[in-house]
Amino acid sequence: MGRWVRDYPLMLKWQMLSNTPMLVLMFIVEALIAVGYVIGFGYIIPNITTQSAMYLITGAPVLILLMVGLVLVPQVVAMARKEGTFEYLWSLPVPRSCFMAADATVWTAITLPGVILALVVGSWHYHFALHVSPMVVPTFLLVTLTGIFIGYAVAHSVPKPEIAGVISQVLVFVILIFSPIYYPIEQLPNWLASIHRVLPFYYMANLMRGYLTGKTPASVGLAFAVVGAWCAAALIVAFVAIRRRG
Amino acid sequence: MLLEIEHISKVYRKGCVANDDVSLSVREGEVFGLLGPNGAGKTTLVNQIIGLLKPTSGTIRIDGVDVVEDPDFARQACSFQAQVQVPITGLTILNAIELAGRVRGGKKDEVKARAQELIDALDIGEWAKKHGETLSGGVRRLVSFCMAAVVPGRIVILDEPTNDIDPLRRRLLWQEVASLKKAGSSVLLITHSILEAEKAVDRLAMIDLGKVLGTGTPASFKEHDAGYMRLELVIEPMAQKPQPPEFLSKTVDLGSRLISSVAEKDIDRAMAWASEMKDAGIAEEFSLSPATLEDAYIRMIGRADALNNDGEAGV
Repeated sequence: MGRWVRDYPLMLKWQMLSNTPMLVLMFIVEALIAVGYVIGFGYIIPNITTQSAMYLITGAPVLILLMVGLVLVPQVVAMARKEGTFEYLWSLPVPRSCFMAADATVWTAITLPGVILALVVGSWHYHFALHVSPMVVPTFLLVTLTGIFIGYAVAHSVPKPEIAGVISQVLVFVILIFSPIYYPIEQLPNWLASIHRVLPFYYMANLMRGYLTGKTPASVGLAFAVVGAWCAAALIVAFVAIRRRG
Repeated sequence: MLLEIEHISKVYRKGCVANDDVSLSVREGEVFGLLGPNGAGKTTLVNQIIGLLKPTSGTIRIDGVDVVEDPDFARQACSFQAQVQVPITGLTILNAIELAGRVRGGKKDEVKARAQELIDALDIGEWAKKHGETLSGGVRRLVSFCMAAVVPGRIVILDEPTNDIDPLRRRLLWQEVASLKKAGSSVLLITHSILEAEKAVDRLAMIDLGKVLGTGTPASFKEHDAGYMRLELVIEPMAQKPQPPEFLSKTVDLGSRLISSVAEKDIDRAMAWASEMKDAGIAEEFSLSPATLEDAYIRMIGRADALNNDGEAGV
């Protein structure tokens, strides 16, 4: 444990400095996604009501967090695997859990500005006020970490890094179109809705939306349990994958 | 023995045998070289020592500890310069070396001083505050060496440390390798350059197709060539390669170079033949020199493709 405490700040510094060249680009991309998401819905639904706008905009944080965790993380990890980066990093006398924690911290920090921007621009553009509960903080962390750990698990578990890139592309499509994040689950066919009652995305959106609008999310215990279970399972798979020796 | 490798075999899932019953040992405070052509299994062996790969069978012990069972111990005991470029994008040379030193348990002030010492010793000060992504491959390789040497492990593993490095800094790097040994570390060296290895190592193992072909000092490898000299002909571009006369043996064709072994009694005849080739415009130049480790290497590996055209062993 002592080693872990000593090494975490060092690995965090390493990861932060390593990501510095990409940070500006990441923030720009996130800002574009966030603003594009907000403005874009105005074009898809021209006479959107404030109520509907609020529903859509409060889905944005989960969408952005999942984009980072399930798309950017696997692609960056896959690139690093291809370049042999982990061959060096794993040779250091640093617990791999410590490296993963530092990496997750940096990714979490990277997602925050995009989320805030989407909410600020969205509420301003569509003239509604958010009622943010303090519970939004643990929800944000849980959603972000679940996305990152799933991304990690995918990127480190697949035998060839290139496959992780393909999987992430499929995930984008599935999440964007077929996940009840910015529309109600009732609009999905029954079989797909049943699947989403096991997957974490619907519950993530419910929790985030509830805590951003001052309402207690529906089935809050179940929602935390399902997302928490996915987070734990992804963490275990990711951890086993990064500790595995070929 | 500090590092003991016993009967290590590594067979990948698709049946590719990377190491086949490899046994060797490295003593405390010695520089030990691993020499072999492309695909010989050197990097696979090293990756098993530091726990990146798990052997199919066999044991690896560092200071008596079974590191196949306890890879964390290996990572504490070994500092490692990987063959791949080190991930230092976004980090300055100083950041990278200092972070590597701190991660290896060095104290802040000591690491800072040692990092500066290495930067000065390898003459890379002009890039000290440059970011990794702006550096040339050679400078990145030197930084990678510094990261392994800043707080050296009991065993410092250097996988192709001189790749891409200019000749002057190569020499500085070999001096630092000698300093590591002097400071008490053992160095396990995988190198491209046979000639450089000959000067740097105390002992070495030749490895090919996953097997150790022999272990010993550079001098012991050359004993077999006692009484013989090496004749090297550089062939003129576009010229037809000559058929070597019968008194030249073990001739190896390296593209633009022909290397043969000459018994001492045949030296006059060999020189006369080489002069003839030069006068005929077939040879650009020729040289006669004592047998080197490279000759022993060619003899043991037994095939010319074990050398690149520039006379270096493959990775």
